[in-house]
Amino acid sequence: MAARGQGGRSRSAKARREFVSEVEEILERMRDDLARLAEQADAGRGSDPEIVNGLFRSAHSLKGLSGMFGLDGMSELAHHLEDVLDGLRMGRAVLDAPGIALFDESVTLVSSTLSKLDDETGREGLEETLGALVARIDAWTRSGAAEEPEAAELDLDPAMLRTLTEYEEHRLGECTRSGKGIYVVEADFEILSFEEGLAELGAAIKELGELISTLPSPGESEASQIRFSMLVASELAVPDLCEQLGVSPERVHQARAVGAPEAERAPAAPVPEAPAEEAAVETSLKSISETVRVDIRKLDELMNLVGELVTQRGAVKAIAAELAQDARTSRHGLALAKVHKTLERKLQELQAGVLDVRMVPLRQVFDKLVRVTRRLRLDLGKEVALEIRGADTELDKLIVEELVDPLMHVVRNAYDHAIESPEERAAAGKPREGRVRVEAFQRGNDVVIQLADDGRGIDADAVRARAVAQGLLGVDEEISDREALDLIFAPGLSTRAEVTETSGRGVGMDVVRSNIAALGGIVDVESHPGRGTTLSMTLPITLAIIQALIVGVGEQSYAIPLNSVRETLLLDPADVQRSDGREMLNLRGEALLLRRLADEFGLEGAAGSDKGYAVVLGLGDMRLGLVVDDLRGQQDTVIKPIQGPASKVRGIAGATELGELGAVLVLDVSALVEDAVRGREAASERTADGGESTSAAPSDADSEREGDE
Amino acid sequence: MQTILIVEDSATMRAMIASALEDLGVAVKIDEAESGFEALRQLPRHAYDLIVTDINMPDINGLELVSFVKRNEAYRGIPLVIVSTEGSERDREKGLDLGADAYLVKPFEPEALQDLVRSLLDRQAG
Amino acid sequence: MSVDVQPESANRWDVLARAAARREAEEDAAVLVELLAFDLDGDPYAIPVERVREIVRLRPVTAVPRVPAEVMGVISLRGEIVQVVDLRRRLGLAPAEATRRSRIIVLHADDTEVSAIRVDAVTDVLRVPESGVLPPPTTDSEFVDGLCECAGRFVSLMNLERVLSLGRS
Repeated sequence: MAARGQGGRSRSAKARREFVSEVEEILERMRDDLARLAEQADAGRGSDPEIVNGLFRSAHSLKGLSGMFGLDGMSELAHHLEDVLDGLRMGRAVLDAPGIALFDESVTLVSSTLSKLDDETGREGLEETLGALVARIDAWTRSGAAEEPEAAELDLDPAMLRTLTEYEEHRLGECTRSGKGIYVVEADFEILSFEEGLAELGAAIKELGELISTLPSPGESEASQIRFSMLVASELAVPDLCEQLGVSPERVHQARAVGAPEAERAPAAPVPEAPAEEAAVETSLKSISETVRVDIRKLDELMNLVGELVTQRGAVKAIAAELAQDARTSRHGLALAKVHKTLERKLQELQAGVLDVRMVPLRQVFDKLVRVTRRLRLDLGKEVALEIRGADTELDKLIVEELVDPLMHVVRNAYDHAIESPEERAAAGKPREGRVRVEAFQRGNDVVIQLADDGRGIDADAVRARAVAQGLLGVDEEISDREALDLIFAPGLSTRAEVTETSGRGVGMDVVRSNIAALGGIVDVESHPGRGTTLSMTLPITLAIIQALIVGVGEQSYAIPLNSVRETLLLDPADVQRSDGREMLNLRGEALLLRRLADEFGLEGAAGSDKGYAVVLGLGDMRLGLVVDDLRGQQDTVIKPIQGPASKVRGIAGATELGELGAVLVLDVSALVEDAVRGREAASERTADGGESTSAAPSDADSEREGDE
Repeated sequence: MQTILIVEDSATMRAMIASALEDLGVAVKIDEAESGFEALRQLPRHAYDLIVTDINMPDINGLELVSFVKRNEAYRGIPLVIVSTEGSERDREKGLDLGADAYLVKPFEPEALQDLVRSLLDRQAG
Repeated sequence: MSVDVQPESANRWDVLARAAARREAEEDAAVLVELLAFDLDGDPYAIPVERVREIVRLRPVTAVPRVPAEVMGVISLRGEIVQVVDLRRRLGLAPAEATRRSRIIVLHADDTEVSAIRVDAVTDVLRVPESGVLPPPTTDSEFVDGLCECAGRFVSLMNLERVLSLGRS
């Protein structure tokens, strides 16, 4: 035995890895399939034949693999599973809860055997369990067995019938008995590139019925062609099937029962004009198509296309305007302008439609919060009630996915730090049970998520002291309570001396803010000592398409998301005044800080730099007047991330393609406003998430941003 | 140099069959297809001297592949071996009926496959 | 209960597997690497073909502020925004005007991201046996991993990771 075990270990590691990973894959698939079958059994539905067949195939592969590898016990178990599954898929037995339990046990046992591949003694220990399980499986199999009734014989091409496996024959019989029409759909493809088209057709067929088998044949006319004959069972009649599949009627043949007169064939084929039948077909189709899963990347592609169309639309508009100005062409110009109007409207509908598909309710994230807090409550021994409101509020799927971490973090903080212990609360005259409320609602083009607790609140003085202690704030620097509260978002600041497992160390709120900023959102905090804290996250509904104001500095164009533009002002040099080296403007009694984009980005602005426009940007209640040379109109834009070696640039959120302007950079308003208002140096360099700095090798571009941090 | 196509969805099985065939004692080049579709795509690109195929595969089954090969003027002469886990007698009969040259039940010894393939290649040459 | 988990067959399969592994190793030795060769300041350079996503003509590049000077700016490739690194500048060579032959090579930086480099001209696809790659003449060569001889001249194989790691070196 020992020598043999040695032989097992010395077996080529590659073949071994291949074997282990393949068996693991098979087991994973079996677990998934079993879970789905259990769901169906719970819901009182019959088992999906495709899943049962998948399980059968898994057991079959398992048997083959373990047999070749000399793992007899595993192979034996797989063999019995295969037999049982064969009976199930052939309709000779019905799967019940005890049956599913047996399968689950088998999967677990195979998995244990696999993990003991090197441990011969351990594996021997499992042998007995394997044997016992096999016996129980056999007993279960004997408990219920049904005979398959005969199905009518069909006039199918013998060449096709000959290639059906036993299982496919069974499916054919089953479908015939259940009154479905049986069809052979033919399609020709180029032999070198058939797969995509065939896969599409196959998928379409599966929407309309069952694809029993696919038989390839040599093409009839050309040698470069390959023909596929697909055996299909469907409740649809030939004309509907042709229409839905987009194939011509001569490519679809209906199989008829041998000897049956013409009139009796195809029990399910509806008379075309019968409205009741048609309705039935329609609902059955609907139930299939109601839950289509779409890869988000496909939606992105669609969105890109829409974005490109939107860009093209701009060009059409420009041409129309040009034509309209010339007397000789003005008639055409006006006609084109009219067409453009319609195009614009339809494009907006299309855009809205695609956007709508991307929208998912926040419920899925909120449900997660509920689950996590249930555990937290147990771990922390605090009494907290979580209240959720507005779970139906919808947001772009990508945003929702990115929200999980920040929301989780904030809620954990509330449970961990903000809510006092029941005793403390009682002593402060509060109810013993704390409350955390998570509420989402839409406000204009934004969605606001508020997290409010009735805990101890944040003590602004404590934050100040902590910031001073950590060197984030000068000893004699005076800041308002509001500004002090805002410091909780500063990197590295932790307001609690002790650290608990739930919230981790000092990191946190700065990450929350940068996560939200990366989504184009902002975070605000409001707190009343002793009464609680409210955190508000304001997020755009979608990342995909935004309205942007295009501004120019010299030759360069930049895009500014319109939702952060409060207003634009024509700048009168006489109104600009200076204070401590900063430029500002009297805007209806408020001091509006000004920053020149040309200075900010080290650009050559237009001569006589006092001329220009101030674009008033708003971030929460912070304001900044960004000075540019000119305004170049509004555009719908799709913001894209910048890819490349130095892709994270403070102040740049991404870029967008704008027709003849090519790639145009989109400004990161929150970074620009924050840096300006907080008085960071204009050219200060800090990468968006505090990651690596963009450059080490000195070059003209980055020498000017040294000296900060 | 003779070229053999292995059609089999299990990577482990492919590797094992390939290792047996590389040890035939004659120079062979081995192509692998993970599915029936891939086999269909490779057939027109290479002049195969022998095909080894599994039956249970996800897209088209081995019987359908056999049927395609044997009904096709260009490929009819290629010897074809079915290797399948011992299963339905009907499937085996059908395979041979459709024109497969041999049927080998898994698990099998490498020598069994080697002998079979050698004799089929010899017959082809002779 | 004793179970025979290693029947005779397994050992025979085992012998085969080891033989196969040996053959694979021999084949690996003769593996050919495919390289895209391009021209920079009159000298030939090359990068692995599998890193190349596409080659495009020079087009207007939008300047990006606050980035190292080697980054010319960004271009839009069917809506994707990609930074372009001026390879001359990156290698410390004299700048040159764009010519008709100037190209931008779009690269796979990793599994998901792309990057792009500007070169003077794309010249050829080379197939070189892996064993034919020689070490560079100096050991402190930052951007060149190796040399291969081609028509009497040495082609420098670029280390793209280093070329593309601006400020991370």
